[in-house]
Amino acid sequence: MHPGCSLGYSPVAFRCPYILFVFLQDDGYYFRQGLPRIESLKKLTWILCILPLFAVVGLLPSCERARGEWRGGQRLVILGIDGMDPQLLEQFMREGKMPNFAKLAAEGDFRRLTTSIPPQSPVAWSNLITGMNAGGHGIFDFIHRDPKTLELYFSTSRVEGPKHAVHLGSWVIPLGGGSAEQLRRGKAFWQVLDQHGVPNTIFRIPANFPPAPAKGRTLSGMGTPDLRGTYGTFSFYTDDATAAPGAVEGGQVIPVQVENSRVVANLIGPDNTFRKGSPAATEPFEVAVDPLEPAAKIAVQGQEFILREGEWSDWVRVEFQLIPFFGNVRGMCRFYLKQTHPRFQLYVSPINIDPADPALPISTPSSYSRLLSDEAGEFYTQGIAEDTKALSDGVLDDKEYLEQARTVLAEHRRIFDAEFPKFTQGVFFFYFSSLDLNSHMLWRLTDPKHPGYDATLAAQNGSALEDFYQQMDQVLGEVLPKLDDHTTLLVLSDHGFGPYYRSFNLNTWLLNNGYIKLKADANPDSSEPLANVDWSQTRAYGLGLNGLYINQRGREPNGIVEPGATADILEREIRDKLLAVKDPKTGLPVITHVDLASEAYQGPYARSGPDMLVGYNRGYRAGWKTILGAFPPEELEDNTNAWSGDHCIDYRLVPGVLLSNRKIAAEAPALTDIAPTILAEFGIAKEKGMIGQSVFKSGRTPH
Amino acid sequence: MLHTLATTVPSLRAAMGFLSFNVPALIVSLISLVIGLLMVMVFGYTSDQKAIHIAKEHLKAHLLALRLFQDQIPVVMRSYGRILLATGRYLRLAFKPLLFVILPLTILVVQLDRYLGSIPLEPGQPFLVKARVANPELLNEASLQLPSGLATTSPAVHVPATNEVAWRVVAEKDGDYEVNVQASDQTLVKRVVVASGLARLSPVRLRGQFWERMLVSGEPALPENSPIQAIEVQYSSRNIAFAGLEWNWIWLFFVLSMVAGFLFKSVLGIEI
Repeated sequence: MHPGCSLGYSPVAFRCPYILFVFLQDDGYYFRQGLPRIESLKKLTWILCILPLFAVVGLLPSCERARGEWRGGQRLVILGIDGMDPQLLEQFMREGKMPNFAKLAAEGDFRRLTTSIPPQSPVAWSNLITGMNAGGHGIFDFIHRDPKTLELYFSTSRVEGPKHAVHLGSWVIPLGGGSAEQLRRGKAFWQVLDQHGVPNTIFRIPANFPPAPAKGRTLSGMGTPDLRGTYGTFSFYTDDATAAPGAVEGGQVIPVQVENSRVVANLIGPDNTFRKGSPAATEPFEVAVDPLEPAAKIAVQGQEFILREGEWSDWVRVEFQLIPFFGNVRGMCRFYLKQTHPRFQLYVSPINIDPADPALPISTPSSYSRLLSDEAGEFYTQGIAEDTKALSDGVLDDKEYLEQARTVLAEHRRIFDAEFPKFTQGVFFFYFSSLDLNSHMLWRLTDPKHPGYDATLAAQNGSALEDFYQQMDQVLGEVLPKLDDHTTLLVLSDHGFGPYYRSFNLNTWLLNNGYIKLKADANPDSSEPLANVDWSQTRAYGLGLNGLYINQRGREPNGIVEPGATADILEREIRDKLLAVKDPKTGLPVITHVDLASEAYQGPYARSGPDMLVGYNRGYRAGWKTILGAFPPEELEDNTNAWSGDHCIDYRLVPGVLLSNRKIAAEAPALTDIAPTILAEFGIAKEKGMIGQSVFKSGRTPH
Repeated sequence: MLHTLATTVPSLRAAMGFLSFNVPALIVSLISLVIGLLMVMVFGYTSDQKAIHIAKEHLKAHLLALRLFQDQIPVVMRSYGRILLATGRYLRLAFKPLLFVILPLTILVVQLDRYLGSIPLEPGQPFLVKARVANPELLNEASLQLPSGLATTSPAVHVPATNEVAWRVVAEKDGDYEVNVQASDQTLVKRVVVASGLARLSPVRLRGQFWERMLVSGEPALPENSPIQAIEVQYSSRNIAFAGLEWNWIWLFFVLSMVAGFLFKSVLGIEI
């Protein structure tokens, strides 16, 4: 199918029946009996002429408007591989396990790519997208806080229901629509390309939900929520009385009963804002468990399928009814039958937005996600598709998680195989998440020094991370033969990786060092963010993976530190003390670098984020609880979570990679150089605010 | 030549791809056109055209009265009453031709639904074969025998609550297969179609249940003494892409035949 054509919604086709209806009204209202024969024939001829036209308009795919006016022959292919680590890449290339990368590095160029401050994916990809650092695009962390209320929110997007509504009994009638807002600021490089008519396809780039308005084809990536509006909430149905029911991190354990070999339960959908109190919309499903065999038949909304124990279903489409007969929202999920006997255990993936009928905007044009679904089958639309939380919670084991993670990559490769051959001009950007998420989860299987290392598990799945790297090499192997003199290739990652052995609880350290005071008799171990903090005596607090904030007068609701010199002195005092922290277990410094926002960032949002960015030593990271403003008892503790590798540390320790089929002139290229590089390839001057330069010496002179 | 062109010219490739995928839409469009024409002709021959004309003229007159004398409440009220009466008269006149078309139309829709209502199975696509037995004792006796080209990919799932046994089956290649379900020394056959185009499909073979059999099944009834009440094969329902929307074929047929009917009635000078 032509890239510009789709079977999707066509405004012309939509209007056509209306035009025909007008014609019929005009003819039918004034009835004439016994039309003259000649007139009748004329009319018949006319009708026979317009009928095929009507059919063509209705039947033939609607062609979207011609995309771009650019007629140049230059092509740029970018493979964005989240979390590809230069050290691991070099090791695998040396061992001959990544021959295509080795060839590209030898014949083209290979550099370490300076990552963002802090080196977190939303920040790093925003640097790449905009050519600015966090001071310019306003994304400082996965988690931001509202300075007025200190409430936490996801940094990249905000989905809100309607602001006003009328309440009628148990129903809520919204007055106006809800909204999905992207919080990344600055112009994306593909929006600049659009302005110059350069065609582009941008697949799943992070920090682009809802997708920025674009003429090209884009699909949102990391930051895209599931249908419940979260980063992914799985459900786990079990009759195991020892499993604590209720919410777990990233999911929900739902107790069920097996009666007469049947389980009846509900899929949990989005909050129904049309009902008072916004209860979650649910849809029932039924599982018939064979009394003897390890298999079950699952029935959901008229769809039936059998799963054996240890088997995943295909995608199953589910429609949640918000208003009977009127307001439905469609999603899709996958089922995994973990066990039938003696205990029933069924995992259901987060309910993903259905790309064929998206409930929230996930692509430009809006029909693009449906086109991809038609061409390459259904796929995970939630930004973080690998269910890392289910593995961390023990709901899935390593083997089960790996199967799911491999499915995610297989889906991406299927789409790549469908899309890449169609690329003829302009920019083609394709994002792969697998190395990042799997380095997070599988590092402990490759590193005997890790507290979570298990020799048996390592023997079973220790090579899995290497397999994912090799799959990236296979993807590159598909691209290399297609390169010619007019095609530039960039293979890059947003950051590298390292082990995550020990957690540092920043807020506990701030508490122990007198920067935070709690109210008298308060429980410091509360899970509420910054619960029981006595703000009248608190000077600094930690939120997010690397963020440290000064409790500044005039900014925080109960700020006590005067901005300016007083705050600056306090920042430097805390920085010196943090850099002096040593791990009593290893003797190593826990923190190797602390950036001050005033020095690290440029741009209009430079002072909107944390005041200080804590850069941890390799092997260390902010503890899980301290990220959300809690105070665990210990300042340092072993990380035994399956999430065992990380990159949210000192940015200098986790550079990404940059490979190209052309020589890279820049000695120390950075993520912020990529947008100017892309634009320069097409002779486009970099936008105001972009702080980088093209990494190629031979790039055309920007005008 | 056309194939070569199609591989090089993207729009032609799109059109060819579309045509191969949207044969059902073309068929429904053509059938709707023909049926629309036939229905108008049948209506013309079987209805009292003059009476219908008069009824419609009366309706128009009363509607006009509503507009002209809107300041005179008694006239308006009387006109509303007469509009109701004229509408009733019109519906009564239209009912007779409806009697002539309803039966053949129902038969046509039922038969077309065998072809257009569901999609044949694809090679490699897992599907369920389900057998509903007469009583729970027979549940463990039921077994499935497959011809070459079909294979089970899971153990049978026995569902005591509904007296049902289900098997997951997959086909290696296209074909018109017969699967055998055995219970109490009886072997019962069910047709399974694995194909890429249009095919006559019967999702269920039933024992008794005359009306349901007429409407849903396209196979002979199971014997009355059969231990199996129903054998079902899970075909996916078909959606047809037309005018940017996904349609069930019956709705599409209904809309297009109405459009065609309205077009042809004016050409043929038939009063509807």
